[in-house]
Amino acid sequence: MKNNELRFREFFENADSQLVKIEINHLIPLPSPYDKSQVSAWRELDTDQRRRLVCNLDGFIAAGLPVPQNAAEEQKYIDQFVKGLKKLLSRESNWTFLQPLLLSLDFCVKCQTCCDSCHIYLASGRNALYRPAFRSEIFRRLVNKYARKSSSLLSRFGVDEIKLNWATISRLYELSYRCNLCRRCAQACPMGVDNALITRELRKLFSQELGWAPQELHEKGTQLQLKVGSPTGMKPKVVKDNLDFLDKDFSEVTGLNIATPWDKSGADVLLLPGAGDILSFPESIMAFSILCNAAGINWTLSSEAPGYDGVNYGLFYDDIQFVKIALQHARIAKKLGVKKIVMGECGHQHKAMMAVADRILTGELNIPRESSMTFLENLVFSGRIKFDPDRNNFPVTLHDPCNIVRNLGIVEPQRRILRYLCPQFREMNPHGVDNYCCGGGGGLSLLAGANFIGWKVNISGGLKFKQILAAFSDCPGSGVKKYLCAPCLNCKLQFRDLLEYYDAKEKSGIYCGGLAELIVNAMVDLKNPFITWGEY
Amino acid sequence: MLWHITIFSISGLALVILLYRVISIARLPVHLRWELAPAPHEKSRWKYGGSYLEEQEWWNKPRRKSLLQPLKYMAVEILFLRGVWKNNRNLWPFSLSLHGGIYLTGGMLFLSPINAFLIVAGLPAEITDTLAEIISYVAVIGFLAGSAGAISLVFKRLVDPDLKPFSTAGTFFNLLLLAMVFVSGAVCWFYQGEFGDLLSLFLSKLITLEAIRVMPLTFILYVAISLLFLLYLPVSSMAHFVIKYFLYHAVRWNDEPLNARMESKLRNLLAEKPHWSAAHTGTDGQKTWGEIGNGVRDEE
Repeated sequence: MKNNELRFREFFENADSQLVKIEINHLIPLPSPYDKSQVSAWRELDTDQRRRLVCNLDGFIAAGLPVPQNAAEEQKYIDQFVKGLKKLLSRESNWTFLQPLLLSLDFCVKCQTCCDSCHIYLASGRNALYRPAFRSEIFRRLVNKYARKSSSLLSRFGVDEIKLNWATISRLYELSYRCNLCRRCAQACPMGVDNALITRELRKLFSQELGWAPQELHEKGTQLQLKVGSPTGMKPKVVKDNLDFLDKDFSEVTGLNIATPWDKSGADVLLLPGAGDILSFPESIMAFSILCNAAGINWTLSSEAPGYDGVNYGLFYDDIQFVKIALQHARIAKKLGVKKIVMGECGHQHKAMMAVADRILTGELNIPRESSMTFLENLVFSGRIKFDPDRNNFPVTLHDPCNIVRNLGIVEPQRRILRYLCPQFREMNPHGVDNYCCGGGGGLSLLAGANFIGWKVNISGGLKFKQILAAFSDCPGSGVKKYLCAPCLNCKLQFRDLLEYYDAKEKSGIYCGGLAELIVNAMVDLKNPFITWGEY
Repeated sequence: MLWHITIFSISGLALVILLYRVISIARLPVHLRWELAPAPHEKSRWKYGGSYLEEQEWWNKPRRKSLLQPLKYMAVEILFLRGVWKNNRNLWPFSLSLHGGIYLTGGMLFLSPINAFLIVAGLPAEITDTLAEIISYVAVIGFLAGSAGAISLVFKRLVDPDLKPFSTAGTFFNLLLLAMVFVSGAVCWFYQGEFGDLLSLFLSKLITLEAIRVMPLTFILYVAISLLFLLYLPVSSMAHFVIKYFLYHAVRWNDEPLNARMESKLRNLLAEKPHWSAAHTGTDGQKTWGEIGNGVRDEE
């Protein structure tokens, strides 16, 4: 079969066989020394994984759905799926996205204008399975055939090529985790149809009706956050201990007296960081602490679960979980009586709290919420901290987190900082609201799956990696240290995997970190460089 | 009076169905914010995609929204298909040809009743004849462009590997119906001649409720196919010419922060009782959205 040929009928046939095989020689080529001969291929699924888990899509497993025991179990899920379809179209169960969903379902003209905007489709060598409209079209046909009564004649006209069976729903579930929800396709659509929204609605159906969601997002994600406070598993005491340790450690290294304030009632600012930063990128949270203290900000962190972890994975797959977590965050801020909440460097958190939750946080819970990009910009240009841009005299490029830039339109504040503090700042191409996703968006950076990392670094992250290399093409090799600024926890997690997989630190000297670290690194008061080019 | 009854009732019915569809969409509940940059109502920032959220403490600053820029954006989008030009250049000439045909036919339908009124009002023949001639030229360019666009799109959808799998019988039906409207118009124009005069005369008789005498067969065919199209238009996806407003203004560009008016609507929505089957949701059709969120601490 050609890479770009896939008939809809094949999607609901042969439930036990793999629908498409991704060939490494179809992927977009990378420049030397990363061309395919030097890149290790992904790991194939082993026999045991194939026996235990549903793997009938593309040879990768993100969601990890166990194989059902018998036909009756399959039928149970099929029946639930139909119920879920109907609930998605109901006001009481899905008022949250009913209008956008119906508009996107009913007014796609199937022109495929969205295709070339999708980094996954392009990086895969235009594999038909990854067309943004492919999964939407299957979903649309299912809705029209199985969930709508009134328009049976018209809506069924021409949509006969669909069948609801185990193959359809199991493949559709896995396929709903082959999208970064970056919405570049929605931006390209002349009609305004949003395939990412449809994908998220699909994930919602599976989660809210069938109880299916990747465990990294659900059991180890939102459920853990609601239970103990954070998907990292950190309880309040552990978080405070960890930050206490980091305060001391970084005070020693920087020569500054770093003290992170906790639970200050009436503070001007509640910083809502991603707790993953504390464990994986501690420089980020410490940089915020240093900057806020240096600028004399009356700020605080909250030690009440889940107020020390601003992530909300509900945004990726489940409205109910989303609402629960967003309300908790707002209640904690209200209890502390802070004047505003500042988002940490985390894209989906920005979108979750600043935009999507805006229409849930009514009354007293509507506490002003601001981006860390504008907050940091104000700190940098307030004159309260002295900077020496020469300290950042190395090549720097900026990755635009989709949720901050394309989805919220926060484009320039971070650039004004970088233009001021980083003499060798250069843009990627394309950038700003036209950026490519890191490949970890939509929760994919958190999914390890059986062999999913191979898909994330080669397919969803392929185009971004190529873009990063192009941004630094004037200084190849590892001799010159290069800084990839990614002001988003999830993007950094994806870049960590990406740079490690391609061995880009060794081969090209590329390191990834946040924005606040670059700002601190340029502080005149700092005795030693804050950026140590160490492990990220 | 058969012509009068048929045309007025089909036009009225189409309008009612279209209005019903528009109102149904407009009355759907307020949804959670799902905006997408760039939003052209952002006065100084929209060119690079910036929004009011770029302001520090944006809630303390006045919002400066442009009313003109979204209109300009949509005008270019609608007339020149900016999105297709930018993102799907191969399709653009075909799509522009089809849409250009539709717009010119729309122009013809706009000018014809005016001329019909002028005829009824008894204006000098030089004026109405000139206008009829203009209508005639607009019509023929529209018919030819529309026919070329619709027919070429049918073929493109049959052979293009990107479009073929997504082209259903419904897609072809839409295009073929459009093609029939344009081709029948073109046949009438070339076969009959003086199309503008014919159309203006026909409409003036309609307006004055005068008897419409025998019309040329090609013209009857054109009107009949057009009426069929008019009846089908509001129930098809081709209603996107109106619904696009919602896709852009109600979703993509809807970044309106919470306000008092919205809050009262949201209070009602938060009182809705969702019912999802997965255990973790805690939704049983009894608890409201607000209660589900409130119950988190209690569950622990």
